Amino acid sequence: MRGLLCTQNLCCQFGGVMATNDVCFSVDHNGLTSIIGPNGAGKTTFINIVTGKIGASSGKVLFKEKDITNTPTHELVKQGICRTFQINSLFENLSVFENLRIARQAKVGGSFRIFSLKQKLKPVIKDTWAMLERLGLEKMADLPAKNLAYGDQRVLEVAIAMAGDPKILFLDEPTAGMSPSETHQIAELIRDLANDISVVLVEHDMDMVMRISDRITVLQDGCIISEGTPQEIRNDQEVKEAYLGKAA
Amino acid sequence: MNRMTTIPGIRSGFHPIHIVFIIILLSGLVAFPFVSGNRFYISLITEMMIYGLLAMSLDVLLGYTGLLSFMHNAYLGISAYVVGLFLIHVSPASFWLACLAGIAFTCVVALPVGWVQVRTGGLAFALLTLAFGMMFHTIVWKWYDVTGGDDGLMGMPNPDINLFGITIGNSGDPLVIYMFTLVIVTLCFFITRRIINSPFGAVLEAIRENESRAAFIGINVRKYKLLGWMLACLLAGIAGALFILYKGYIGPSTMSAFAGAGVLMMVLLGGMGSLWGPLAGAVFFIYIQDYISTMTEHWEIYLGLVVIFLVLFLPTGFAGLTDHIRRLRKE
Repeated sequence: MRGLLCTQNLCCQFGGVMATNDVCFSVDHNGLTSIIGPNGAGKTTFINIVTGKIGASSGKVLFKEKDITNTPTHELVKQGICRTFQINSLFENLSVFENLRIARQAKVGGSFRIFSLKQKLKPVIKDTWAMLERLGLEKMADLPAKNLAYGDQRVLEVAIAMAGDPKILFLDEPTAGMSPSETHQIAELIRDLANDISVVLVEHDMDMVMRISDRITVLQDGCIISEGTPQEIRNDQEVKEAYLGKAA
Repeated sequence: MNRMTTIPGIRSGFHPIHIVFIIILLSGLVAFPFVSGNRFYISLITEMMIYGLLAMSLDVLLGYTGLLSFMHNAYLGISAYVVGLFLIHVSPASFWLACLAGIAFTCVVALPVGWVQVRTGGLAFALLTLAFGMMFHTIVWKWYDVTGGDDGLMGMPNPDINLFGITIGNSGDPLVIYMFTLVIVTLCFFITRRIINSPFGAVLEAIRENESRAAFIGINVRKYKLLGWMLACLLAGIAGALFILYKGYIGPSTMSAFAGAGVLMMVLLGGMGSLWGPLAGAVFFIYIQDYISTMTEHWEIYLGLVVIFLVLFLPTGFAGLTDHIRRLRKE
């Protein structure tokens, strides 16, 4: 199966530990694929390899059938591979507006202009306002990102990645530490995004994963142990054992 | 729909009060030599402006790109030596060519050094700046035949400054150098401020705030760090050319780690990330240094005490103080 992005026998070794072991994974041009698994299963490592944060020991990552293994992060982002982080990674002392504006500028271009003013990049500014309104953050536009409530920071974390017009978006536990109502809001946003682009979600909230995913991949000890629709995964014996331990 | 095309919290241009302040300051500086005529103060203010430019260039690196350089004075020194050597050995009358040679050579040296340094960040970057700076200091200090070693570079001729065929004056005249420095430093301040407020400057700030996230929004972090470094070294090179024209002499101590720490203190005292703060920090630092050194030869001890006091009670520098006052007035 060859979709938008796939990995072939991807491995990553830390010392003697295979954090990612022979992973063959693929996603389509749109839809929501969730990656689940117990703590230490290698979910974040997998995202780190695909998005260029760490190198693969062996195997390949293909994007639009082109080999992108170990390509620098910023080039992957230009091609449309974006991600968010499990722990907020914002431009903390910059305003909420500037957080999104700089991300948009990096996508649209104009960073080499050294003598014009940044407020002259009108398309970038218009897009930024549009995004803020869509996410309900426009009232906080001139607050430093560090002064936002945690839930809003989480939304901004996703928004920064969205500003890059991704074709595929990796979300690393976007709802970590959020209240149920905030979780609900972000779940809607993710589901909405998945209609247009490919979204890969790493998440611990099983209710949410089962409710909104199109497909689910289960990782354990760096290996894929199961793949399928939420219904198939729910009934998979091996997945149950991975999460609950083997029945005696 | 005007709101939709503006950036919140960003004014384009200066606040009217700032414009008034800048005009008063500049006219005061222009008038000073004619009113006072005190050679000593003319030369002290020239030195303040030159170090102000150097501190401002370090602020581009530290305050805007988030990279710490312990020995930014090395690049002032390199430029100063090359300008001096050019005037002594190549062409004693070519003022502009000598300045250009100094600044260009500084950039040629800074490029490979920066290329190595930007592969790191944080403490490793800072240590590399120290290592390279000490290398340059030692080269200048020990290469007696070329640099004059401990004695410094002496016997530099003073060329006339010509602009569009008109002779403005001789670079050996303190008043001419004072005015020339005032013009160049003012120009550099406004140009640098413009660059900092450009889309390019915004990229540098994003790198300062969060280098790893900057890469994940599509910024080639190493490339922009290198460009920020080069901008800082270019400005330091300009300061270096002014320095030797003003002093007519340069010795290795100007490039020492001790002097480098002084430049860093100027930036911290003034408040990094404001451009004008480090300028003010340099003025304060040079003044205090001069004032205490007339009273005791152990001036470093007292200067150290002053700096400790200020860092403890004014950790964000002069720039932080004005922000604080502004906030109090709002409340």
